Amino acid sequence: MKKKTILEKGSKVFFLLCSLFSIGAVLFICYFIFANAIPAIQQIGLWEFLSGSSWQPNNTPQEFGIFNMIVGSIYVTAGAILIGVPIGLLGAVYLAKFCPKRIYPVLKQAVSLLAGIPSIIYGFFGMMVIVPFILENFEGNGNSVLAASIVLGIMILPTIISISETSLRAVPKSYEEGALALGATREESAFKVILPAAKSGVVTSIVLGIGRAIGETMAVVMVAGNSNILPSSIFKSVRTLTANIVLEMSYASGLHYDALIATGAVLFVFILLLNMALGLLTSKKRA
Amino acid sequence: MKKLLSLATLFILAVSILAGCSGGDSTTGSGAAGGSATAGSFDSTKEITVISREASSGTRGAFDELMGLIEKSGESEVNKLFSEAVIASSTDEVPAKVEVDKYAIGYTSIGAVNDSVKALKVDGVAATEENVKNGTYKVSRPFIIASKGEASEIAADFIKYITSTQGQEVVASEGYVTIDDAKEYTAPSAALSGKLTLSGSTSTEKVIEKLREEYVKLNPGVNIEVTYNGSGAGIKDAQDGKSELALSSRELKEEEKAALTPTVFANDGIAVIVNKDNTMDELTTEQIKKIFTGEARTWDKV
Amino acid sequence: MKLAVKHFKDQLRIYRRKPLSLALFLLVNLAMLLTIASLIFVIGYIFVNGVSHLTPELVFGAYSSDNPSMSFAIVTTIILVIVALLLAAPLSIFCAIYLTEYAKRGNKIVKLIRLATETLAGIPSIVYGLFGSIFFGTVLGWGYSILTGACTVAIMVLPVIIRSTEESILSVPDSYREGSYGLGASKLRTVFKIVLPSAMPGILSAVILSVGRIVGETAALIFTLGSVAKMPGSLLDSSRTLAVHMYISTRDGGMAGRNTAFATGVILVSIVLVINLLASYLAKKVSGGNTDGE
Repeated sequence: MKKKTILEKGSKVFFLLCSLFSIGAVLFICYFIFANAIPAIQQIGLWEFLSGSSWQPNNTPQEFGIFNMIVGSIYVTAGAILIGVPIGLLGAVYLAKFCPKRIYPVLKQAVSLLAGIPSIIYGFFGMMVIVPFILENFEGNGNSVLAASIVLGIMILPTIISISETSLRAVPKSYEEGALALGATREESAFKVILPAAKSGVVTSIVLGIGRAIGETMAVVMVAGNSNILPSSIFKSVRTLTANIVLEMSYASGLHYDALIATGAVLFVFILLLNMALGLLTSKKRA
Repeated sequence: MKKLLSLATLFILAVSILAGCSGGDSTTGSGAAGGSATAGSFDSTKEITVISREASSGTRGAFDELMGLIEKSGESEVNKLFSEAVIASSTDEVPAKVEVDKYAIGYTSIGAVNDSVKALKVDGVAATEENVKNGTYKVSRPFIIASKGEASEIAADFIKYITSTQGQEVVASEGYVTIDDAKEYTAPSAALSGKLTLSGSTSTEKVIEKLREEYVKLNPGVNIEVTYNGSGAGIKDAQDGKSELALSSRELKEEEKAALTPTVFANDGIAVIVNKDNTMDELTTEQIKKIFTGEARTWDKV
Repeated sequence: MKLAVKHFKDQLRIYRRKPLSLALFLLVNLAMLLTIASLIFVIGYIFVNGVSHLTPELVFGAYSSDNPSMSFAIVTTIILVIVALLLAAPLSIFCAIYLTEYAKRGNKIVKLIRLATETLAGIPSIVYGLFGSIFFGTVLGWGYSILTGACTVAIMVLPVIIRSTEESILSVPDSYREGSYGLGASKLRTVFKIVLPSAMPGILSAVILSVGRIVGETAALIFTLGSVAKMPGSLLDSSRTLAVHMYISTRDGGMAGRNTAFATGVILVSIVLVINLLASYLAKKVSGGNTDGE
């Protein structure tokens, strides 16, 4: 009998330890990223690093300013949101309220497949199809904010659709019944009653979409052109924080290497802020 | 109940999926055909697309140096590359980008030039292997293999092989320029065995991979592992002892020469390439500099 | 049928009266169409262009500079997935067991664990790559290797497995547990003999989805696994997975490289297709075929 309690207690502790691993992992990741980034930022100067627009690791003296890339990341993310959110939201409304039962499983499967396709495939597709398309039909050389936004817009669709759909479905049936009883059409009830009621879920899906877009690397580096400039139009080339890391990391050494880690740290801070926003959103929903 | 409506929806879905597909096909079709269909309609008032490489590429380093894109004054060194230049991340990505963009200019290793793009004469000299070898084509750089101090037995033998007549045959067959006075290579009588690690320039990948395969055929006991991570990183790896030999596609700097012993095993011209529809056939160094610093933004201003 | 026609006519009448509703109806259809069309276009494009390059030589042949075969990348992908799952699956399943069966609701530690897994889920793969290369690669001295890559992606898929396992454990009816306790079984026995087996399809589907994530990963692997084009000899060797092979092929190797990339893309997309179908089949099993939530 006593042996059993020891086993029971021991296993509980063991499970707890396994659970604590994820906390440990987060702390480790924070520590190692910031331990490399902070000395580099100190050496470069926080203000120079964040507001400098010149990134010249080969100049003497070296220059490390990531302002253009921060703006670049924000631009392509905003573009992705502009493209992905309307389509994703409407798609979610369709799935939740208008989809014939028979094709629903097929569509649902298709959306999850869209989420499962590797980013390298999206990047390759963008490089082979979207970039030449923009080059042929619009101005500029195709490697552009627009190309990156389109690719990212497609990539965040499944995130927006599935999370919004879940929250649309969670709205009590009585809301819709009430609206229909008052003479609203199905569309009016969906857009004027159900969608507003599912607001917090929709916002959550957008925040997660932003997180996915801002952190995406491979798909972006293949279509964005990667010039370190402040793009003056959507047809201009752009370099994001993620692209900067992946382009130069394997070549870098010394301060250059640490400056790239610091670029990652800035990205990390963005994501942590987004996560905090998300936490606030969900806790508000609960309250 | 909603059968008819749902059937209609399904039908619309199916039709537009098909439309989406065929629409897509026609896009790719025109993308591929666009270049040839509009051949000859080169509008020289259009903006030039300048294509360069990431900052620590060996090809970029050599090109910037040769074209005078690096402005030195005293201690400081400033790279004057046009800030809007598209940055390609490898030797082969440059011709791929130039191929689809009529107004693009880029540079790449002569060995990587293919029929889909046009290599320009520089200062009146065509970018050919002969011209690199006889020294008339100036835009060239050496491929270097470097060891830290005394090379190990295997490393020394590998260097001996790639600078031998057999090794140089491989160099020539890959489209690079051979070095002079190569000697016959014979595998050592006592068979070598062990591991040799190399790291460095992506530009040397094609030729080194071939050399590695041929060398391993002669010395089956040797296992060679190569990481292509760029000249700068390769040199640093060799200095730190992370790898035994460094591969570089640019001359070693003075401070690097202090730590490493370089051996030239091939020479490579850097070709300046433009789209096939481009009406230009040659440029001077001065004009190339103007384009790559962004001083000349359209082809008619060059 | 008559009823359906009547319904259709009713609907038409409503739309004639309220054109805005018709516009919205068309819009939501259009949005879904666009979504599906882009999926079909992406997959179709890769398949149409890739299948012709998919020769047995290229898939199974030995890698050389003349034949940039993906055989070594397939082997590396399989090894990496196995090692990463051996690390991640037990850890995350135990974590899910703790969260669902042992922890008290509203516990501070539980909140913290949840916050941590949510944070892990949000971290971009490139940051994982940086961390992996610093910690496993440099601090632990494993360099570019399969081990470094596997440890990195193992942390990355933790939240994926934890969350889905939790969900499927929660969907096991309480009556099962009560029955087990009623027969005098201990908690540990109940968990392993009753709860886990019932939740197994869901857990498997979570694990399979994480396989999909690992197979498709590139950014976290190029700085940890490296990109040496060679059949790996040990866990400490560097190599490429299929996705990394595809990325390097698009960058290097000109037109031939592009063809390799297309062919690799076909294999990658096929794997992802199979994985998704398998996962949803298993997920359906656990929820008794009732997935449409209607």
